[in-house]
Amino acid sequence: MTKADLMAFMPLIILAGGSVVVLLAGAVRPGGWLYELALAFVAAALVWTIALPATAAMPGLAVTPFSRFFAVFLDGTGLVALLLASGYNKRRGIVGEEYPATLLFALAGMGAACAASDLLMLFLGLEAFTFAFYILVAVERDSVRGGEAGLKYLLNGTLSAAILAMGIALVYCSRGTLKLAELALQAAPPEPLFLAGVCLVLVGLAFKLSWVPAHLWTPDVYQGAPAPVTALLSTASKGASVAALLLVLPLAAVWRGGHDILWGLALATLVCGNMAALVQSSIKRLLAWSSVAQMGYVALAFVALPAGGARAALFYIVAYAAAGLASFGAVAVLADGTDRDAIEQYRGLGYRNPLAGAALAVALFSLAGIPPAAGFMAKFAVFSAALRAGETALAVVGVLSALVAVFFYLRVVVALYMRPADGMEAAVRPLSISEGVALAIPTAAILFLGLYPSPLLDLLIRISR
Amino acid sequence: MMADPHLLTILVFFPLAGCLLVLPVWKRPAAARPLALGVMTGELLLALWLYASWQGLAALKPILPGYLLVEDAPWIGAFGIRYTLGLDGISLLMVMLTAFSFCVALAVSWRAIGEKVGLFLALLLAMETGIMGVFLALDLALFYLFWEVMLIPMFFLIGIWGHGRHIYSTVKFFLFTMFGSLLMLLAIIALHLLHAQQSGVATFGLHQLIATRLPAGTQLWLFGAFFLAFAIKFPLFPLHTWLPDAHTDAPTAGSVILAGLLLKTGSYGLLRFGYPLFPQAAQTLTPLFYTLAIAGIIYASLVAFAQEDMKRLIAYSSIGHMGYVAIGIAAWQPVALSGSIIQMANHGVTTGALFAMVGMLDERAHTREIGAFGGLWGKIPLWSFFFLLFSMASVGLPGLNNFVGEFLVLSGTFTKSPLAAGLAFTGIVLTLVYTVRLVQEVVFQTERKPLPLADLDRREICLLALLALLVILMGVHPAPLLDLIHGPVKILVGGAP
Repeated sequence: MTKADLMAFMPLIILAGGSVVVLLAGAVRPGGWLYELALAFVAAALVWTIALPATAAMPGLAVTPFSRFFAVFLDGTGLVALLLASGYNKRRGIVGEEYPATLLFALAGMGAACAASDLLMLFLGLEAFTFAFYILVAVERDSVRGGEAGLKYLLNGTLSAAILAMGIALVYCSRGTLKLAELALQAAPPEPLFLAGVCLVLVGLAFKLSWVPAHLWTPDVYQGAPAPVTALLSTASKGASVAALLLVLPLAAVWRGGHDILWGLALATLVCGNMAALVQSSIKRLLAWSSVAQMGYVALAFVALPAGGARAALFYIVAYAAAGLASFGAVAVLADGTDRDAIEQYRGLGYRNPLAGAALAVALFSLAGIPPAAGFMAKFAVFSAALRAGETALAVVGVLSALVAVFFYLRVVVALYMRPADGMEAAVRPLSISEGVALAIPTAAILFLGLYPSPLLDLLIRISR
Repeated sequence: MMADPHLLTILVFFPLAGCLLVLPVWKRPAAARPLALGVMTGELLLALWLYASWQGLAALKPILPGYLLVEDAPWIGAFGIRYTLGLDGISLLMVMLTAFSFCVALAVSWRAIGEKVGLFLALLLAMETGIMGVFLALDLALFYLFWEVMLIPMFFLIGIWGHGRHIYSTVKFFLFTMFGSLLMLLAIIALHLLHAQQSGVATFGLHQLIATRLPAGTQLWLFGAFFLAFAIKFPLFPLHTWLPDAHTDAPTAGSVILAGLLLKTGSYGLLRFGYPLFPQAAQTLTPLFYTLAIAGIIYASLVAFAQEDMKRLIAYSSIGHMGYVAIGIAAWQPVALSGSIIQMANHGVTTGALFAMVGMLDERAHTREIGAFGGLWGKIPLWSFFFLLFSMASVGLPGLNNFVGEFLVLSGTFTKSPLAAGLAFTGIVLTLVYTVRLVQEVVFQTERKPLPLADLDRREICLLALLALLVILMGVHPAPLLDLIHGPVKILVGGAP
């Protein structure tokens, strides 16, 4: 490993090392400036990645423009999630060093998954961050829901890990290599063993992306986990899984069946996610089902992969992440130490807490795909890719389910602004600076990407080549 | 004279700038109201200045034939979306109507809106930007963006300041409109891709896309999607059910803008985009269009006759009046089309005035039941006078504005389809029936309930006098407006069958 390689891999090293440092610092000095320390590490990794456009390769890992884009994206979401968590955890009595340390570890794992150049490293990266999330989901030890969510996530997660590992093993059996580049180049007609392996890998990733029918864990886990954890789980981990899928899909490029499987997944996810979200009365469950539905649009983009679908999927995941962070972040702020979770309990909150209310409303409009929010441009990208690929039927299903989605997103907006708050509760707590920043960043990103998506789109064209 | 190249951008985004100025003072109505008034008046003056100089601009030989001002800049290169705005006579008329209607909306809500005033004004200003954009955009993607953006403020306007079942109404309004527009979005993208296949140029520009050669079947599908979106906004007969709810439950300013402008975006979209882009498909669907329009006129008039709520009655009358606009577009013939466009402006003024007047009455009596009033001529003569005037205008009394539009529409349509013109004519009789009933029960007759009513104050008199002046002026001397739209109409009709 040369010095140049070291420099290129430094962001990953900062995150992994930072995780250990935070853990040790917590042991030496409990309750010190742990969140601030963790923030500094994430910010350092972020700045390093942006400032030093280096590429490097070593066995299993490769820093490419693609992985650097994801590193920036993941560190950005991690930064916002940490800012959210610092205040939220203090109010909830979630103390200790394990939270910031685990979060850094999760970011390191995701970064590794995105930079993987062979299947084994991909598996390690994916499972490293999933492992971190097993802890984070259940970090609120006194909460009944948290424990249940943690267990459900653990069981589903281990199942998907097993499937993924089996798939990788089958691929290795049939082709004798794990290197992604070599696997994609082998033009031999795919034999059943290889296809079975690819399918299993696809199923394993479908779990991570909560594609129907591998989505069942999503609502329970999103509802039970602390809101800042859900914010990270529903954005960064989805982003890393999209990256992993983009790395894996060239393996099945010549096989038409891959397209058909994705087609079915997209259809089921779009319909099921949006329909289920219609009947939710808990805001976190509604957002969870909505995130399932949103992943349906990502699946639609993957179906249209040959027609510029990769760019659409990447743009979609960025726009979705901004909206996910803003919405779960606003929920974290508005819930404010209570167990406020029913949509009915959000009545009139848009006036009591204008910034959080506005962030939630903007995020919901973005998820619904209404301009000038980024979600519109994202849907635009996905639908154009789908139509270019000739997937008219699926595009029409997508559009009609988007209409259903508008209805349930509006329900929350209606509660926020149009129904009177019942009874005057305790005085409104002013937002702390960290919460204000954590909500302002994704909201600004939503509006900026909605009005001027050109820079990001141009960047995505370059990296998805 | 030289035209400032960024005039159209200013026209679109000046209200938005005003919105951003109002937001910091949203808790202080005393500061927010004059600020909003200043911005809206400034916008109106700009529109009037453009009108005053349109002949000078037309002499300048613009980039696109028929257009007075065009602005074009790259926006989203990766999608081929450009920021293209264009102003021709038709847009100018709509721009003036928009700027004016917003002033009316502000004036009628000066006192009626007492809660969250700053937010209300900010939303109004944001909506003005959206509607201006719809009337000026020449890039289909940009048009779609504005088309959706204008919905959000209206959604909040009805939902927060509305009365009755306002939440039901506003959600229904939003979903209906979204349904049409989402399918239109797919059609826009499909058209863009087909054009790119044929010419290799990725564009959403209206004037490039018109050149796309489409097989008849494809054209029919795409036009169907556009037609659905515009027909919902219009609203055409079976798709109109959102309108009475939204109009009735909206605050007065919301009703003025809904009736005055949002419905016009549907008819404007059809004549600017729908017909020119898909001429053959439009011709194929003309009989359907006629049928729906006439069914709408007759149905809405009959239903209006049975209404007890004045606002709901006027809402149904809107459906009827927009039916004439629809017939004029369906005929696609210079005289009828001019009539339609003039009728769009007329209807905006007349119906806006009627909604404003019902709002004023509602402020005083806290009811809009026709049965609660009676004998108002003796109690509030000024109000009754103006109400009678606008009602007569709405019926189409010669000398007042609606007559001009309806006459042109019917005479133009007669050359194309005497049957449609004849059936539409019966609609005028039905309009007369329900309007006379309304005026007779509310203004005349004997008093039914002792309501303490005060006559109009100075602000209201100024507003209504201005509206009345416009109604008479546009009725007696419509020539300047017809001159304004003459050129663009000829270009539109020349490009189609």
